[in-house]
Amino acid sequence: MKSNSSTVKTRPTPWDALVFAAVAALAVLTALVFYGPKARTNAPLTCVVSVGGEVMDHVPLASFAGEHTYSHNGYTLTVRVSGGQVEVLHSDCPGQDCVHSGPISRAGQSLVCLPAQVVIHLESGTDGPDVIVG
Amino acid sequence: MKFSVKKLALCAVLAALALGLSTLENLFPVSLIVPLPGVKLGLANIVTVFALYELGAPEALAILVTRCLLGGLFSGTATALLFSLLGGLCAMGVMILLKRSRRLSVYGVSVGGAAAHNAGQILAAMITLGNTMVVGYLPFLLAVALITGTLTGFVVSLLLRATAHLHLTNQSDYR
Amino acid sequence: MKKLFAVLLAAAMLWGLAACGAPEKAEFSLFAMDTYMTLVAYGDEASDALTESARAINDLEQRLSRTREGSEIRAVNHSGRAAIDSETAALLTEALVFSAETDGAFDITVAPLVDLWAINSDSPHIPSQAEIDALLPLIGCDHVTVDGSAVTLDVGCAIDLGGIAKGYASDVVAEIFAEHGIKSGTVSLGGNVYVCGKRPDGKPWNVAVQDPQGDGYACMLSLTDTFAVTSGGYQRYFTAEDGTVYQHIIDPATGYPARSDLLSVTVVCPSGTRADAYSTALYVMGEEAAIRFWESQQAGDHAFEAVFVTADGRIACTPGLADQFVPQEDASYEVQLLNR
Repeated sequence: MKSNSSTVKTRPTPWDALVFAAVAALAVLTALVFYGPKARTNAPLTCVVSVGGEVMDHVPLASFAGEHTYSHNGYTLTVRVSGGQVEVLHSDCPGQDCVHSGPISRAGQSLVCLPAQVVIHLESGTDGPDVIVG
Repeated sequence: MKFSVKKLALCAVLAALALGLSTLENLFPVSLIVPLPGVKLGLANIVTVFALYELGAPEALAILVTRCLLGGLFSGTATALLFSLLGGLCAMGVMILLKRSRRLSVYGVSVGGAAAHNAGQILAAMITLGNTMVVGYLPFLLAVALITGTLTGFVVSLLLRATAHLHLTNQSDYR
Repeated sequence: MKKLFAVLLAAAMLWGLAACGAPEKAEFSLFAMDTYMTLVAYGDEASDALTESARAINDLEQRLSRTREGSEIRAVNHSGRAAIDSETAALLTEALVFSAETDGAFDITVAPLVDLWAINSDSPHIPSQAEIDALLPLIGCDHVTVDGSAVTLDVGCAIDLGGIAKGYASDVVAEIFAEHGIKSGTVSLGGNVYVCGKRPDGKPWNVAVQDPQGDGYACMLSLTDTFAVTSGGYQRYFTAEDGTVYQHIIDPATGYPARSDLLSVTVVCPSGTRADAYSTALYVMGEEAAIRFWESQQAGDHAFEAVFVTADGRIACTPGLADQFVPQEDASYEVQLLNR
């Protein structure tokens, strides 16, 4: 294949703005789908912790306060829940991304540790129980 | 596909450059904004876009795959390979389609590619984590793609103008 | 391009703003009445309501405890006759009604047997048949006479309000919530739940029923403004040296820990005290008698709904809860809807 750079457009055209607008619209759309209706509710948050694709904990955030450890793939994470926030306090994974991610506190947010395959997700408690009897 | 020696050498140099750029990316951890490990800015896309324009789709694809495989080899993790490969291939596919439109400039193509690149990374995260919740990061990554895509478009447009007189792909030279 | 960014920025700020304007939320946990309690309230006076509730619960414990120095119940048990607060008298009268209704399956005079077995204590004791037979004549609500503000007990008898104290406490908390204009909240007093109004998002509260055989949930109930109480032998029990498991709910009729074909009973009704008493009684009765009792109460003011988790792996749910019942996929129970 041979290209002649003289026919290649190197300066922005109005059509580029169309692509730009399409991507921006997609961003807003997905944001609305994921955060719009949920962000407007003040439902109690539920903390869902899945390890290796399996849900280990599905607990209202309010009653999940304290430190929790999860081990998988040879890595151990210490997760602290306090004051409506969740953060990975310590991890022996190589990247430390999960620790660096800092605390999360709103519905739809997640903390992810890829090496340990731990996903901590906050959702507005539409599915999880608000209170347990028994 | 026939590769002339010159083209082969050029591809190798570009692949090395892409590899360098993807290493450079690690200095800007996107995970601080989007806590999804493995997600990258997509600076290496500069090389992909440039190769796509200057050399063509097959060559750009070869460079991309080489970069991903070597990058995966260096980092030693299969997940990193999956992230870069899925992201890169998505970007490549979308850019090939967008480039067909003669109306779009490098900017439009690279913005579309950057968006597809980040969407591909979300796909990789979904696969590796077995968790669909990560789609929630798509809006942030798409917003990031607007910036990186424009940046890539700008750099590539400069490159294309600068190399216009070099006739890099004059295949009759060293056949 | 600038406009687009402005739109994006505005959208981001809107999401942030949406979090504001929420009613004030207050939360309070305490150890009282031998259990862990958690109270959550939404409203302008939420924290006042919770402080007052905690004080009321501690007051109740002081009055109704069988062991606390200076408690009214201890005084009654000790001297056989004592003057009591009119509120306590009313509660005792109510308890006697529950005993009569449930044909003694719920009985506050079971205290001597509870002491004999001492299942909740550090040193549980497996009594001989003779020991049990000696105490059985002391059991029964006819041994208790409430006369205005005084209670009289027959010689050797003792009363224990442990079976309704938490339920009554939840009723008291519900009143306090109402006084403070709380329109949304949850109260969990160790197996006794009160859900106030709806969730702040307008949806019913999700009340999960603990799986008696695992750490998950047996089912979920979508409830508004009601009380739910679960009784079962799966949490408090002791295992004898020969491997026999003795759970803590004593059957007043036999004097032995109830050998129920039910793992747990959850009663849902508009009174916490009644839900507490009924759930214990229904557990003791066993499935067949419990369902008969449920049917017999359908017509009156004391109608209630219930969820039975049976030992043979079924969840039987009364028809009034059909619309509120949410089965749990990971629980391995066969769900059964009872006929009216």
